[in-house]
Amino acid sequence: MSTLLDRIDAVKQAALAELRAARELPALDRAKGAFLGAEGQFTTLMKELGTLAKELRPLAGKAVNAAKQELEAQLAVRREELELSAALPKEPTDFTLPGRPRRLGKQHPLTQVTADIVKAFRKLGFAVADGPEIEDEYHCFDALNTPADHPARDSQDTFFLDVPSRPLLRTHTSSVQIRVMEKTPPPIRIIVPGRVFRRDNADATHNPTFHQIEGLYVDKGVTVGDLKGTVEAVFQDLLGNDVKLRFRPHYFSYTEPSLEIDFTNALVKKLGKDWLEIAGCGMVHPGVFEKVGYDPEVWSGWAFGFGIERIAMLRYGITDIRLFYENDTRFLRQF
Amino acid sequence: MKITQNWLREYVDFPWSTEELVERLTMLGLEVEGVQKLGGEFAGIVVAQVVTREKHPNADKLSVCRVNDGQGERQIVCGAQNFQAGDKVPLILPGASLPLKAGDTAPFTIKVGKIRSVESHGMLCSHEELGIDPEAIGHARADGLLLLKADARVGQSFAEYLGRAGSDVVLDLEVTPNRPDLNSLIGIAREVAALTGNPLKLPAAELPSAGPGSSVTEWVSVRLEAPDLCPRYSARLVRGVRIGPSPDWLRQALEKVGLRSINNVVDVSNYVMLETGQPLHTFDYRLLHRAADGAPATVVVRRATGGETFTTLDGRVHSLGADQLLIADEQKGIAIAGIMGGQNTEIRPDTVDVLIESAYFLPTNIRRTSKALGLRTDASYRFERGADVGVGDYASRRCAALILATAGGELAGGVVDAYPEPLKAREITLRHDRCQILLGVGMADDVQAQFLTRLGIQEVTRPEMRGAWSIWRVPSWRVDLKREADLVEELARLHGVDRLPSTPPRCVLGTHPFDAIFDQLAVVRNRLTSLGLDEAQGQTLIGGAAARLVTADMVPLANPLSSDMDTLRPSLLPGLLDTLRHNLTRGNRDVQLFEIGRVFTQANGVAKEGWRVAVALTGARSPGFWTGEEREAKCDVFDIKGVVESLIELLGLRGVVYQRRPEATPLFLESATLALGGKLALGQLGQVQPRLAKQYDLRDPVLLAELDLDVLLQRRGAGASFKALPAFPGSRRDIAMLVPESTSHDAVQSVVRQIKPANLETVELFDVFRGKHVPEGQKSLAYAFIYRAADRTLKDEEVTAAHARLVEAFRTQLAAQIRE
Repeated sequence: MSTLLDRIDAVKQAALAELRAARELPALDRAKGAFLGAEGQFTTLMKELGTLAKELRPLAGKAVNAAKQELEAQLAVRREELELSAALPKEPTDFTLPGRPRRLGKQHPLTQVTADIVKAFRKLGFAVADGPEIEDEYHCFDALNTPADHPARDSQDTFFLDVPSRPLLRTHTSSVQIRVMEKTPPPIRIIVPGRVFRRDNADATHNPTFHQIEGLYVDKGVTVGDLKGTVEAVFQDLLGNDVKLRFRPHYFSYTEPSLEIDFTNALVKKLGKDWLEIAGCGMVHPGVFEKVGYDPEVWSGWAFGFGIERIAMLRYGITDIRLFYENDTRFLRQF
Repeated sequence: MKITQNWLREYVDFPWSTEELVERLTMLGLEVEGVQKLGGEFAGIVVAQVVTREKHPNADKLSVCRVNDGQGERQIVCGAQNFQAGDKVPLILPGASLPLKAGDTAPFTIKVGKIRSVESHGMLCSHEELGIDPEAIGHARADGLLLLKADARVGQSFAEYLGRAGSDVVLDLEVTPNRPDLNSLIGIAREVAALTGNPLKLPAAELPSAGPGSSVTEWVSVRLEAPDLCPRYSARLVRGVRIGPSPDWLRQALEKVGLRSINNVVDVSNYVMLETGQPLHTFDYRLLHRAADGAPATVVVRRATGGETFTTLDGRVHSLGADQLLIADEQKGIAIAGIMGGQNTEIRPDTVDVLIESAYFLPTNIRRTSKALGLRTDASYRFERGADVGVGDYASRRCAALILATAGGELAGGVVDAYPEPLKAREITLRHDRCQILLGVGMADDVQAQFLTRLGIQEVTRPEMRGAWSIWRVPSWRVDLKREADLVEELARLHGVDRLPSTPPRCVLGTHPFDAIFDQLAVVRNRLTSLGLDEAQGQTLIGGAAARLVTADMVPLANPLSSDMDTLRPSLLPGLLDTLRHNLTRGNRDVQLFEIGRVFTQANGVAKEGWRVAVALTGARSPGFWTGEEREAKCDVFDIKGVVESLIELLGLRGVVYQRRPEATPLFLESATLALGGKLALGQLGQVQPRLAKQYDLRDPVLLAELDLDVLLQRRGAGASFKALPAFPGSRRDIAMLVPESTSHDAVQSVVRQIKPANLETVELFDVFRGKHVPEGQKSLAYAFIYRAADRTLKDEEVTAAHARLVEAFRTQLAAQIRE
């Protein structure tokens, strides 16, 4: 009797040693088979139980089961250890290697700047409006109080299209003012981002195509004060709270009074300047209201416009306007 | 318009420094574009005379000179060749420095030194060393020393010689086109006077009384044949002048503001033009036709006869049209009115009698003529913007007085002033509350009146009668003041627009149909960038040849700048090809771009515009990585189709059909059109012709797609809605079948659509295979079919039965061989 019990403990110790010795999962499985499998040593021991005296069997059976349970538990622990080490790569991962890049596109800088400008205006209740790029002389000039032979037409040298009605490419987004007012009764509160065209040869500061944004507000009791207040709010939003604006008299045929807006901030000072011109604006000329059938005695309004490229160039420090239209991906990905 | 600060002070006093003046003018609307300080230059440089010039003993190209500097003689070594003893030249003395030039970091200071062992006590200067343009100061351009005029005073400082002794400041002003009155010193002074309240000091234009029997009418008469184009023409005559150089004050005044001195008479007319803004012209009276009977010469203001030729004083010959205005005598033209005089009557060194023209011409006519002839002058610039019809006589008197003072002679008494219908001054009613209404600031009635009065605008109503409004008469020089809003602007300027209060933005909600489209475009843009594409913005103007790759119905420009920008883009694709080339030639080989923009086409002579979105891919499919097979993969047609499908899915469009074009196109090697419901064209995609790609220096396959955004947005589906997640398991059946190459994926799908097996949830193509075990001319397609019911778990027999019908249909309809 004592020999069997002694053997149980010896087999258990041998099994535990083999489990610990197993360095990989197949060795562990082999060890499991050798002790707990159908032909295993514990199975043999169980079979031998039958040879024992009846009164000794329960005690020996308990001992075998306890040893088996301990072995199973150790086996599970060892299996987990070995599985864990099997999951590790052979060589440790070099976490300094670059990760696998995901491709992510960038929006064009002009798009981004336009979106920011639009956002600043929309906070103040402006809706985005649009009009055709192919225009007629009436909407581009005459209705804006700039009749033929007006000297102001000179500064906006115009592309004409070679089709029968001889339309033109709009030289400013102001034509959309007329289009919108013709169709919509006041009040009006719109901004108009869009492409405009001037017959300039491309150089660092000119491209025949460029972008403007136009704002128009028509209501009862609109004053220059409202114009200034709105413009200040928008430019602070766009250029930061340290921006200072200066309004000075100027001339545009479709506003009266007409003002030009200069701004300054740390950036402008860094460029060695006191002020930089940024936009033109003014109170809508009564003659323009008459053209679209608004009564200038009842309605007043203001309009202003500026170049989007200019804002983008200032914001990012870009010195050549042509970069916007070359679409070099090394350029596009910077923004 | 250039003025100097000292010159301006002759007409008005102001208590400001230069900086303050610049600030005040800018805030009045006269932007100062440049400020140049004069004076203080050329210290230590004097007028010297060469006494002797000998060859340098040790150098062939140098000479040793004795030079008189006004104090005594000194020895100078000089390398120039263009002078001799007796010449007067600029001398810089030891210790003095040459003016700084562009690129100089430190001034070059002259020292006493030995040149090839001969001492030199100073240096004789060339115009380059002095940093001046010799022609601008009336000297010949020479290779070597600047040779001064024979009458230069030896020992005089060079600055004094140039007339730049006193300090002054040149201001370059930007005059807006509505304010022609500011193209004159007096006009600018008037603004300053209005701002300061100081009086405007008009220069004297008193003329001596002429002796009896010398009335101008005996010499000249004027006949206005075109009073519509020339409402006023006046003539004065100064006889017996001596043409010669201008006195220093006159020459210097003109040179400071960038005009060249010509002679005393011409200089006076330019000076008075700058002073008053009135362009004047002077004729050599002797060259005008006079009848044999001694009757006065007649100046005729008439339209040119069609085809009449005329030679302007710059030597150019012009052929004139019938609506172009000519100043003529009875036989010939003598000036193109308001633009330029003729060679045949210009002032010459031997001119004796000077006829002074002071006239007013219709701005639009001058402008058209000037444009048509390509002839722009200081005179045309002023006339086309609108001269002051009221200042003509004053300017003419001022001119005559200055000619008498500088060129001598005698005045023929009086003036011939043809002004048959004096223009009526405009009157404007000003409601005093308009300031508050438009500017947002209240201004007392008498302050408003004071501002306007200071600008020379006269009150018609009597101040004590003033009520809620007053009436104002616009002076002749203010052609821009037409209605009440213009007067309000004057008040704003004098009040100071920077002092107008800002009020917080008011809230009105704007509306416009495009507002929503703007956001839809942003959604499309966001999707495309999240798919890894960079956004491009191309030129609207492209070359006609590139445009023809896409369509023949394009819109050409009538006045292009160049042949590569002579057409409105009919498609975004040619521009994207150009952009690819730009990138490839700069070493960016893997380019994935999209553009959203407008394109222009022509139908029946009418130009149309519309929004498009286009995609261009070339080079590596994925960004570079250090391992894996994928890094070798180049973009192919299914990459671009994936982008297109993603867009279609984003916009919720159903039933888009891709139809392969049977033939290649000029642009595409192989391509497909997209249509909605098989009918409504949506766009195209494909691979660019290798031949064309090569022309654009593109080596890898180039894939392009372009869709009509207007249609896409109009037909976009409703927004997302929730569908319950499946509650019961699905059952999957895979099938692999051999079909002929000509059998498309779409054909398989249409069999599925036709059979509509019960409870079929999805069909997914997961393999297309050619090669081992697949006969030539066939391909193997493998699909996974998922069957699922919403309300129960399907029984195996149900699925098998439904699926068997489908498999049978593949066999019979597609001649498919099902692979086991």
